[in-house]
This record gives sequence, structure tokens and C-alpha cells, in this order.
Amino acid sequence: MLVNDKYVPRHKMNFVLCHWLNGISFLMLFITALPLFTDQFQFLYTMFGTATLQNAHRFFAVVFIVTPIIGLLIAREGYAKMFNEVFSFGMDDIKFLIRFPMELLGMHPEGVPKQGFYNGGEKMNIALQMGIWCVMVASGLILWMGSGYLDNSVRAWFIPIHSIAAAIGFAAALAHIYLAVVMYPPSLHGMKDGTITAKYAKSHHGKWVDELVDDGEISQGELKKALGK
Amino acid sequence: MAREMAMLHDVSRCSACRACMVACKQWHDLPADFSTPFEGQYQSHADLTSKTINLIKMNERIDADGKFHWDFIKFQCMHCVNPGCAKGCPKNAIAQLDSGAVVVDEDKCVGCGYCTINCPFNVPRVDPDRNKSTKCDLCFDRIEQGMVPACAKTCTAQAIEFGTIEEMRELAHKRLEVVKKDFPNAMLYGVEPNGVGGTHMMYILTEKPEVYGLPADPKTPDSVNLFKDIIRPIGHIAGVGAVAGLAGVFVLSKMFGKKGGD
Repeated sequence: MLVNDKYVPRHKMNFVLCHWLNGISFLMLFITALPLFTDQFQFLYTMFGTATLQNAHRFFAVVFIVTPIIGLLIAREGYAKMFNEVFSFGMDDIKFLIRFPMELLGMHPEGVPKQGFYNGGEKMNIALQMGIWCVMVASGLILWMGSGYLDNSVRAWFIPIHSIAAAIGFAAALAHIYLAVVMYPPSLHGMKDGTITAKYAKSHHGKWVDELVDDGEISQGELKKALGK
Repeated sequence: MAREMAMLHDVSRCSACRACMVACKQWHDLPADFSTPFEGQYQSHADLTSKTINLIKMNERIDADGKFHWDFIKFQCMHCVNPGCAKGCPKNAIAQLDSGAVVVDEDKCVGCGYCTINCPFNVPRVDPDRNKSTKCDLCFDRIEQGMVPACAKTCTAQAIEFGTIEEMRELAHKRLEVVKKDFPNAMLYGVEPNGVGGTHMMYILTEKPEVYGLPADPKTPDSVNLFKDIIRPIGHIAGVGAVAGLAGVFVLSKMFGKKGGD
């Protein structure tokens, strides 16, 4: 069933909630640690105080760590889908990625295969962020409360590891935000109320829409109507 | 220009009277520290704290022959020749002075605690109230006035000696010969260059360093160089590059075609 004859249901609201918890906590973690990494953001320490930012960093760290755990309880379906999709990386994803740079420049290349629930790029981003999450959480916990369990000669290594992971994670997040906000605003709708327009779904996740039709989740008729054919 | 100085603690002469701890608190105007509850132990504090930056450790030990030993050692910042704390400080708040003293500049310190993690001896303590890193500063203010650090000044047993690094090296070797007669395992610690380049806090130990809770082979972590010399500069370039790159993609996509939104 389409929503309002126009929108394909894509994410459950609990999953949307987890997305924003994860996104906001990551961004806040990045900002609260930024003045430690670059002096251009020293003003944040001056404005809020060093202890405030450091305690905020710990607070958002807890949110960041707990979000996927909550997600497995309240948004199991969405998380399961994410894991399944990431570990089913195939030829269509590679073909998509090869043509994506042209797409990025607005050139709509020919021969992009129909994409599933997540496209090749999204799968890569999800896999990367999962890896980054593991590294950030492990290295962060070691720095935060590893004293007494690990020798400093080992712990010291987790300072650069934590920084590198944060930098890579942020770079990926920048690209993610750019694609959502600037390139494909209709996709952003999916993270507002969990639905995207049938038109966008058909053109960007064709394989998924076909599956929905095959499974009887949406009917051929209402899809045609929504697409204006 | 100040001369390079050093402090020498001869544990064989130390009676653990703790006058040095009191003198340290007095000079640095540090309050009494009740962080360790009294449970019948002799050692006053379990570990260094932001209020107790010089600690006499009193360790009870029974050796392989079943003989009882009581090991005393004065524990504080070692004032490394290659200080990991200073190198790893993201705010450059820790400096090594000409005297060899490694000193925290509290105006620059943000209390992140990286110095503690980068210290092979796990010395600096971030003060929970002021959020500033604290540790022994070798009484650099006294040294610069030609005075001796408060702890060395007060030591009646001449267990704590202070002078130029050459004098202390010479004294250490001379005393070691004497100490060896009673303690065959006696050794010098930090006197010669080691993994941290040597230390301005030197010891004559009667047993191997592990007995006193000191690392046998302290080393300035390689990761501090990685963080400061490579990751931070690359991070700065990458940060600017990422924004410039996205702006470039945005402009190019406007030039090449219409938005791929639907």
C-alpha cells in the first residue's frame, strides 16, 4: 500500500529514530572533540569550558554506543535488513559504483543496473560506518576507562587510532549528507517519516520496487497511478 | 640560560619519613589529600593524585629466601629527556625547560588527559575540579632562583640529592659502588639514556625496577609522533580538502546537468 497514493513505506519510525540518534551523537562527538584536534576551533573551549565539552563528549559517547543496542530491540527489522544487504554485495553494486562518479557530476550515465533496497554506494557507506563504529567504540572505551587494564605503551596507540577513525567517519558522513541534502533531497524524506516518493523509489531502487510489487506489498495499479502513467 | 639539572634518589638511604611529601605540599600550596582511606597500611596514599604529586611508596615484599623487605621509593614525574606527555599534548601545554624540568602550562592545558596516557610512568593526573593536568614540576621556579627543589632541600638523610646532571651522574656511580656492598642487585635507573632518553629524576635502586613498580624498559611511545607529525597535519589538509572537494562536485554537477533528484 502506498501512503497518500504517492509514497512508498521504506523505514519504520523506530529505525528513523535510531538513524538520527546515531547521526546527531556522531556529529556532537565530532564537534566536542574538534578543538582538541585543531586550534581553529579553540573558541569552543573558550565559549563552553573544557570540562563541559569533555563531559558532553562522554554523554554523546553513551548515546552513540547504546543506539545500535536499542536498535536491535526496537528496530530489529531495519537493522537486520541493513546487515543482510551489506553482506550481499554483488555485480550490480560494482556496476553501479563504476558509473556513480558520472552520476555525481549530474551526467546521468547509461547502463546503471536497477538497485535494491540499498544501492552499492549506500552499502559501502553502511559497511564503513559499521567498521568505524567498532573502532571508535573500542578505542574510545580504552582511552576513557582502560587505565589499570592496559599498559600505557599499548593505550597510547589508541589516541591516533581514535583520531583516524573519527576523520574517516566524518569524511563519509560529509559525503552522506551532501548526497542526501544536495543531490537527492527526495531520499531525505525517508528519514523524516519513513517514506519516499514512488517516483524516486522506482528510479533509484528499481529492484526493490519490483520486489515490493512481486510480494504484493504494493499493487501495479497504484504504482502506475503514483508515477503518473 | 639555566644549566641542565637532575635529582637523584638513593633508595638505600631513604627512611620513608615523608618529609619530602610535606615540603612538596608546602611549596606547591597543595591541600591535605584524604583520597586513600586508612586501612592499616603504612603508605599514605595509594597512588599519585592531583593534590599529591610526590609520593613515598612503601612496599612490603618477601623474597625467594623468605626474607622480609620493606622497599621505599620516592615516586613523581621523571622529567624524561624525551617526554611523551609534552610531545603528545594536543595543546602544546607541556614544555621542557632548559633545566630539564618538564612543566605544565595551566593556561594552555585543557585537561584532556592525553599526557597521562602518553606517559610511560603513568604520572600526570588531571585535577577533577580545575580540569588541569598536574604533576611534579621539579620546583622549576626554585631552580631558576638557584635554589634546590623543596623535597631535596628538606631531606635529612641525604637520600634526595640535587645538582647539575653531570654532578648527579658522577654521584650516582660513586654511591652505587658503596651501595653494592650491601645490596648486590643494586642498579642505577634513568641515569644513562634509555627508551625515554634518560630521566632528570634518577635513582639508585637496591633491587630491579619492577620491585618499585617502575617499568624495566620505559619508552616514549612511537604513537605520539604519528599523532602530532602525521595525523594532525593530514587531518587539517583533509578537512579543507573535503569541503573544497564537495564544493567542486557541487559546481561541476551544476555545470554538467540538472539535479538527479528524481
